[in-house]
Order: sequence, then C-alpha cells, then structure tokens
Amino acid sequence: MAVQSDVIDDAGPYDRAKALGAFKLGDVTFYWITRLSAISVLLILGGIILSLVVGAFPAMKEYGLSFLWTQRWAPSADPPVLGALGPIYGTLITSFIAMLIAIPVGLGIAIFLTELCPQWLRRPIGMAVELLAGIPSIIYGMWGFFVLGPFLANTFQPFMIKVFDGVPVLGAIFAGPPSYLSLFNAALILAIMVLPFITSISVDVFKTVPPVLKEAAYGVGCTTWEVVRSVVIPYTRVGIIGGVMLALGRALGETMAVTFIIGNSFRISSSIFAPGTTISAAIASEFAESDGLHQSGLILLGLLLFVLTFFVLAAARLMLMRLETKAGK
Amino acid sequence: MSEMSVSVSAPTVHPGSQPLPEAPAKVTARNLNFYYGEHHALKNINLALGTNRVTAFIGPSGCGKSTLLRIFNRMYDLYPGQRATGQLLLDHTNILDPKLDLNLLRARVGMVFQKPTPFPMTIYENIAFGIRLYEKISKSEMDDRVEKALRGGALWNEVKDKLNASGLSLSGGQQQRLCIARTVAVRPEVILFDEPCSALDPISTAKVEELIQELSENYTIAIVTHNMQQAARVSDKTAFMYLGELIEFDDTSKIFTSPSDRRTQDYITGRFG
Repeated sequence: MAVQSDVIDDAGPYDRAKALGAFKLGDVTFYWITRLSAISVLLILGGIILSLVVGAFPAMKEYGLSFLWTQRWAPSADPPVLGALGPIYGTLITSFIAMLIAIPVGLGIAIFLTELCPQWLRRPIGMAVELLAGIPSIIYGMWGFFVLGPFLANTFQPFMIKVFDGVPVLGAIFAGPPSYLSLFNAALILAIMVLPFITSISVDVFKTVPPVLKEAAYGVGCTTWEVVRSVVIPYTRVGIIGGVMLALGRALGETMAVTFIIGNSFRISSSIFAPGTTISAAIASEFAESDGLHQSGLILLGLLLFVLTFFVLAAARLMLMRLETKAGK
Repeated sequence: MSEMSVSVSAPTVHPGSQPLPEAPAKVTARNLNFYYGEHHALKNINLALGTNRVTAFIGPSGCGKSTLLRIFNRMYDLYPGQRATGQLLLDHTNILDPKLDLNLLRARVGMVFQKPTPFPMTIYENIAFGIRLYEKISKSEMDDRVEKALRGGALWNEVKDKLNASGLSLSGGQQQRLCIARTVAVRPEVILFDEPCSALDPISTAKVEELIQELSENYTIAIVTHNMQQAARVSDKTAFMYLGELIEFDDTSKIFTSPSDRRTQDYITGRFG
C-alpha cells in the first residue's frame, strides 16, 4: 500500500486530473456519437414522411378522402381517376390469409422443434427454416408463377369450387374462373415467406421457458399438448405476438414476389382466386411509367401503406400492453 | 434456521419425533442404478419409503439426492440419454416399466421444486388446472376442491379474496405453498420435495415445514434438503448419500445422534460437505 501511494504522490495530483480529463473528453465524444446516431433515425424517418407527403400532395388535393373508397383506377383517363380501394383491399386480404396459414404452421414447427423433435432431426429442420428465410423474394415469385399458380388453377381451385358450390358465403369466396395469378396464390407465397420469422422467434422464446416450470406441469401429470397450451404459450405470448407482428409487417410490405403473381387487377372481386393487387405491387408495376397526377397518386398509395403499417404496429403494442396489465393485475 | 449454522454441531432432533413404528413400504428401490449418459450417478440404491412417513435425503451437492427423487416420478424421462436400471416399485407398480402411463404415475407421485413454479395463470386456475386433467367436475365442486387444496397448502386465508389474481403476484413463500396446494389438489399418494425451502425466508420455511408435517398424516413424503436442522425437524427417516451411494439409512434420531458410519458423522458435524 505504502509503495503505491508514494508512486501516486510522485506523479502529483495535477497529472491525475489531466488523465481523468482525457477520459472525460472521450466520454463526451462517445455520448455525442451515440446521440447523433439515435437522432439520425428520427431525421431519416421524418425526411421520408415529409417527402412522401410532398410527393402525394397533388393527388391528395385532387381526390381528397374519396381516394380511400374509390375502386376505379384509370390513370390514362382524362382527367385521371385514381382510387385506392383495390390495393388496400388486396393488401389486407393477402396479409390476413397469409397470417391465417403461417401462424398455426409456424407455431407448430416451433413447438415440434423445442418440445417433441428427436435431437438428430432438430438441426436439419432448424436449418431448413432458416434457409427458407434466406431465399430471395424474386425466387418465391417465380416459383409461385411457374409451379404454385398452375397447381392452384388446375387442381386446387376446381376442387374447392366443387366442394363449396352453392354454399352461401364460401361459394362466393372460392368461385370464379381458374387463374394462375390470384390473391390466394400471393397469400400462399407470403405465408411461406413469413413462416421463418414466426418459427425462429417462437423457437427463441419457447427456449426461455424455465425447464423447471415445464417439469412442474409434467409433474402434475400434463401431456405435452397440455404443457404447451397451458404453460409454454401463456408464458411466452408476448414474444409470440412480437414475432407475429414482425411477420405481418413483412407481409404487408412485401413487393417483388407479390407483384409477380397477384395479377395486378384493381377490381375487387369476392373470390380469393381472382387476380387483385396490393399497394406495394401497384407501385412497383406502375411507378416507372407514371408522371404527374398518376405518380402523385402512387406516392399517396405509399403513404397509405406507411400509415397502415404504423397502425398495425401500434395496435400490436396496445394489445401487448393490455395483456401485460391483465397478467399483472 | 439458516443454513450457515449447520457447520457448528450436529442438530438436535425435534423432541416430538420419537422413532415411529416401522411403516409398510410405499416406494421400494432395489439395486437401483442411474446413468446420465456414460456417467454412473447412482450406484445400487436399496431403500424403502414408509407409507405416510417423511423420509429426508441429505448429502453434499452432487451426491445424487435430487437425481434419486427425479426417478420416483420418472422426471428424467424428459431428457434423452438418462436411464435407470434395477427395480423401483410404487406399491406393486413397477415405476421403471417403459410402458407405464407417465401422466398417471405423476398424478400418484407429485413433486414440489426448489424454486416456486406457479403456472402463468390465476391462483384459482393454478389449482383447478391439475384437477381438470383427471376429473370432470362442476363449478361448485371445483370451488370446493380449490378451497380444500388451498387450505391444505395453508394458503387459503391469505388468498381467499384474490383468487383471480395471477399466481405470479404472490410472494416467494406463498408461491411455494401454492405449488404444494397444487400438488395436493391432484390427490397424489407420494409427494416429493426437492429442496422446497432453499429459496424461502425463515418464516416461510417454518410454514412449509409445518405443512410437511401435517401432510405426512395422509401422504408418503420424500424431501431433499441441504439444511440438516430441517431434516432433523421434519423427517422420520433420514438417508445420507455420498458420491452416488446410499451410505446410511435409518431413523432420523439415530442418524443425528449416533450414526454408524464415519462419513455420516463427519457430514452432519460439518467436517466436510
């Protein structure tokens, strides 16, 4: 001890303060670098919103709120008539069907992987799911166009029409001439594309369930199904909903694969086997050849997608908060 | 009460726990061996848990006490690579039979863990959940059963006004008693306690110990503990285990006053472990 304090005395208190001062400068720099990084996110977000609003302004002024419920999309008419109902409907319905398929399948895979799967099979399936996430979306589009489309049109759709013919609501949903390009085809591709998100996040949160909690449930005599339903899923529901929302965000915004296979029709049909369009598909297929009011209308569509996604995420947050207060009451 | 004082001297045996007459065996182990993969964790265990008696398992960490407990309800089955050989009987049922219905076995042999494990649901549901697995009963009957179980877990008076609150909102000691009530609700024959008080404060510990004594009137109980005083207080028989072997198994009063094995003597007086 004595030796050490001698050394410090030799160096003098002034030097120590100076050394600390150098650290302080580093700390301040660090603080500002991280702060600027954080602020840049706000700036970028604000800039995007601003440029969308500016670009969409002519269309907003021309069509007003009726843009939202007009189905007709005739950019080459004079003056152009533009309505977003078709793309909005297509976006919502494809995402809805995609989630309807992807959530149970994705959770099923996750449950199998964490609770039931023999050790040797775990890695191959886990890797296959991750590879699924790595496939570029244009490949999904081509596959949907060349493989899934013909199968749906030639086999699946005639079967569904035959089964549901004459049934009040379902009949209309599955009716119509067979088509390679359809809302359902797009929804199916979307389901496959978002599946890895749901599965990998669910696997991660399922792994956070303490083994002793599962043992306790097995200890009162639960079967695996009862353990999963009553302990694993309730324990992890916040994480699962997070994963589902991430997947939904992806589904709402997915562009390339959907543009390939949805048929780009702005008409709303009751049948999910009819061609349709989504907001992002409409923008992708028309933006290059657009100008003037037409282009402004497409930008307004983009702004709508932005708002739509925002509301979906906000609703998810709200739901999570509700769940948390309910669990903690 | 605290685990710190263990090393000073051998604990005195509870005055009330005079050796009870021998009880008929509820669980019998004969030449029981257990393996974690290659590792031979339990070696030739022979012992019997007396019906409606409390048997305590003591020994240094890693000696195989908890492992032994987890064989009694086949909990090890959840994990690949773990296996048991030899004979283990619950009355006349072979517990190690691969064709045995595990859900039924675990209904007969309940378990309370080291850390409280309330399920993520309400207090009421925590109890009703286990009952519902085996019985279809009406709402009013269920209310009765839940109340009875919570009384059995010495928790009723504390939670009767908030049965719909989350089980996780209770304190640690209450959660542990909730888990005991949940185990009792299924009406098991044997209850296994795996260090049930190691995460609890002294007052909660006292409550749980009292509860264990009461439960022993109707249930066969096995308890693993690191707290020697606890073993002395609650148990009728004590098993001392060391390095996977059962060194000594006798009346608790005998183990803590005149153990016959040198290693038992050393362990309970705190010379090692």
